Amino acid sequence: MLVRRLGQAVVTMLIAVLAIFVAVRALPANPVIAQFGQHAVPEKIEKEMEERGWNKPLWQQAIAFAGQMAQGNLGESFARPGEKISTRLSQAVPATLELTFAAMLIAIPLGVVVGTIAALWRNSWPDWISMAIALLGVSIPVFFLAICLIAAFPAMPTGSRLPPGTIHDLHTEFYFFESLLTGKFQLAALSARHLVLPSIALSTIPLAVVSRVTRNSMLEVFDADYLRTARAKGASLLRVIVRHAFPNASLSVLNIVGFQLGMLLSGAILTETVFNWPGLGRYVVDAIRDYDYSVVQACALVLAGIFVTLNLTLDVLFLVFDPRLREASRS
Amino acid sequence: MEFSRAFQSSCILFCFGFLTACGGGSPMVTDTLIYGRGGDANALDPIHTDIGESVKVIVNIFEPLVAYDDETLDLVPGVAESWETSDDGKEWTFKLRPNVKFHDGTPLNAEAVVFTFERILDPDHPHVHNNIIPYYSSYTQIEKVEAVDDLTVKFTLKQPQATFLANIAMFPSGIVSPTAVKKHGADFTRHPVGSGPFQFVHWKPKQEIVLSRFDDYWGEPAGVERVVFLPSEESSIRVTQLKRAEIHIADNLPPSEVDGLEKTPGVVVQSTPGINIGYLTMQTQKPPLDKPEVRQAICYAIDRDRLIEVAYAGHAQKAKTMVPPTLWGHSDDVPGREVDQEKAKQLLEEASKKYGFSLPLKLELFVMDQPRPYMQQPRQTAIFIKDALEKVGFQIEIITNDIGQHFQRMTRGEHQLGLSGWSADIADPHNFLHTLLHSDNINEIGGNNLSQYKNEEVDKLLDAAQFELDQEKRTQLYKQAQQLIFEDAPVLPLVHVPVRIAQRDFVKGYKLHPSSQVRLKAARMAEQ
Repeated sequence: MLVRRLGQAVVTMLIAVLAIFVAVRALPANPVIAQFGQHAVPEKIEKEMEERGWNKPLWQQAIAFAGQMAQGNLGESFARPGEKISTRLSQAVPATLELTFAAMLIAIPLGVVVGTIAALWRNSWPDWISMAIALLGVSIPVFFLAICLIAAFPAMPTGSRLPPGTIHDLHTEFYFFESLLTGKFQLAALSARHLVLPSIALSTIPLAVVSRVTRNSMLEVFDADYLRTARAKGASLLRVIVRHAFPNASLSVLNIVGFQLGMLLSGAILTETVFNWPGLGRYVVDAIRDYDYSVVQACALVLAGIFVTLNLTLDVLFLVFDPRLREASRS
Repeated sequence: MEFSRAFQSSCILFCFGFLTACGGGSPMVTDTLIYGRGGDANALDPIHTDIGESVKVIVNIFEPLVAYDDETLDLVPGVAESWETSDDGKEWTFKLRPNVKFHDGTPLNAEAVVFTFERILDPDHPHVHNNIIPYYSSYTQIEKVEAVDDLTVKFTLKQPQATFLANIAMFPSGIVSPTAVKKHGADFTRHPVGSGPFQFVHWKPKQEIVLSRFDDYWGEPAGVERVVFLPSEESSIRVTQLKRAEIHIADNLPPSEVDGLEKTPGVVVQSTPGINIGYLTMQTQKPPLDKPEVRQAICYAIDRDRLIEVAYAGHAQKAKTMVPPTLWGHSDDVPGREVDQEKAKQLLEEASKKYGFSLPLKLELFVMDQPRPYMQQPRQTAIFIKDALEKVGFQIEIITNDIGQHFQRMTRGEHQLGLSGWSADIADPHNFLHTLLHSDNINEIGGNNLSQYKNEEVDKLLDAAQFELDQEKRTQLYKQAQQLIFEDAPVLPLVHVPVRIAQRDFVKGYKLHPSSQVRLKAARMAEQ
């Protein structure tokens, strides 16, 4: 089964990249002219078009692009001359990963706890309050929430990954993880501080979704016979929830977490913009704005890759967690 | 349910714990000036960029031969301490300041100057790695650049050019260190090395650009140890950051935000009249706007005083001609058209009978999707113009395009009416009148004469002014041209927009330059 899924994944990525390849070229503006702003120089523009092969028919460009991708070369940005896309990705992806990780660190445990509370006290005030908050969480515009957060926590930094002008000797852009692992605790604390507000802002939607899903799946299993049996034989409420109810409810939670993770990893554009976070979302949006063909294509490939990997991981996790699937795949 | 209560409270504790656990002090960095702006640079190699956010950084790292005076638009010695012109105006000889060093220690000599200009002019220069050279045409009058001796450079021009000195004072011809260019190759744009008061430290894309004081600077050294350029895209966030002193200067804010900051304790607002023009272009080569009467009717219909209130919060100057009044060569004698809707209606009705078109006259108005310095609220401006024109017998359809597409479609002449504008590259009327209204600049690829205005007499006047070196005579020529342009009305000059920034009061010494260049050399941080 996994082999078949892997095959599907590769096809999905190919189609995604092809679609993007055509889509960026369907944009009506000429990217080279756009680079010159209001100071276009016709002869330079022509030369640049020629050197980049953008005067050639689409299919020839597509072949050149495929060849380049096949060599694992993502190429260079066009709007930022000479900038390797792989270099920029190695900066943007860690920024997004750390932010996503922090947001999920808030959203998953809190969501599960809130959802469980709501299920335990179903149709009474804890339920109403948590579900109202969940509803607010999905419906409040991130942008507005971010501004409220900034206003509510005047002592917290309003943006950036580290205080402006910080000079450090980290080798990767995983500021928090690397400084933590290499024992630079002051730097780790600084970067954690800068993560707080953006990750809270980013966590609201997954938090709301996770808590709702947890509540519903908990409610489903609470009424099941095996739970009544467990209670009857004298298991404590905690044991019933943790040992008996949650494992069954966890599958749908896992599913939704995977989906939300994909959404966050593809770049939380609004959050990143408000908090001056140099992540993947802003990179892609800027590239689209600048008609940066090569970057848009490369990012599409990376994003497709992220989603496909996530889906595959989920499939594997389901095999681990769901005995029914395990049995089915064995037979 | 004893357990559940404990469980409940621990959940609540967990929530609060997370929110508060992450406190702790951030180290206060002193003597660092943080400059908050709306976007990031795209290139720091002076020749490869056209965008303002890059220029703000470049002018602090690189210096051209000739510079603007600290407070006026006069050209004064930069790294060249003196210069002379031959009688025919074709040869310019510059004497360089001795002992000027680049940040990497390379001496700034005639060879470096020649190298800098060859990078712009030579289409196959081995140390230029792409063709994006937006200001190329400003330098094409240069036939050759030679090193006479170690500290003397001679420029030979194809024709005498009145704007030559102003052109080489522009940021693209900031002198680059040949050693660094050769060392970094295509990466020079991310490792810029010049001779300016600040040297480059690092650039984290979309996060920050850091510069530090260059101690071996030939002039007065910079007033602060470090400068951080912070791209904080949301203007409301920049306002909050400035109020909290997380940033020390905020630029490019909407006028109403600046008004609010003016009243904030600890914040001061600076303003300088911008050398720019926001205008309405009218496609003069296609009916019905090829008829001067129709264009004049449009000019009479729009109340620009109200427009300034509506779209600029009152902070703009009504434009009389395309040349800003702060610039020499501006003609105050042009009568201008005050709003007169009756007259507009009448002109339009007469035109409709004369040329046989029916009313209301349908027109398309092209609008960009994001603000420009000269057009801070394009959408509001467009709606205002639509309302005004529809009162006198037009029917306007607003067409919004993203900024790149907006200008590309207009250079191809696809518009009828369009919002446009220009910020000066150099303080010279040539840069407005020739660039925006000479028929040589009608070009599908990037021609800036968007109205496709052709008037031989105007062309002749502008050509003459380009080759005339006497400023008095040039002024007369430009004034005549402005009168002719006014009569033909290929454009409606709308506004000149001031440049305004807000800053903390402890940032001393920084003065907005009338050229709107961001020169941070004199800024220093007072004791807080």
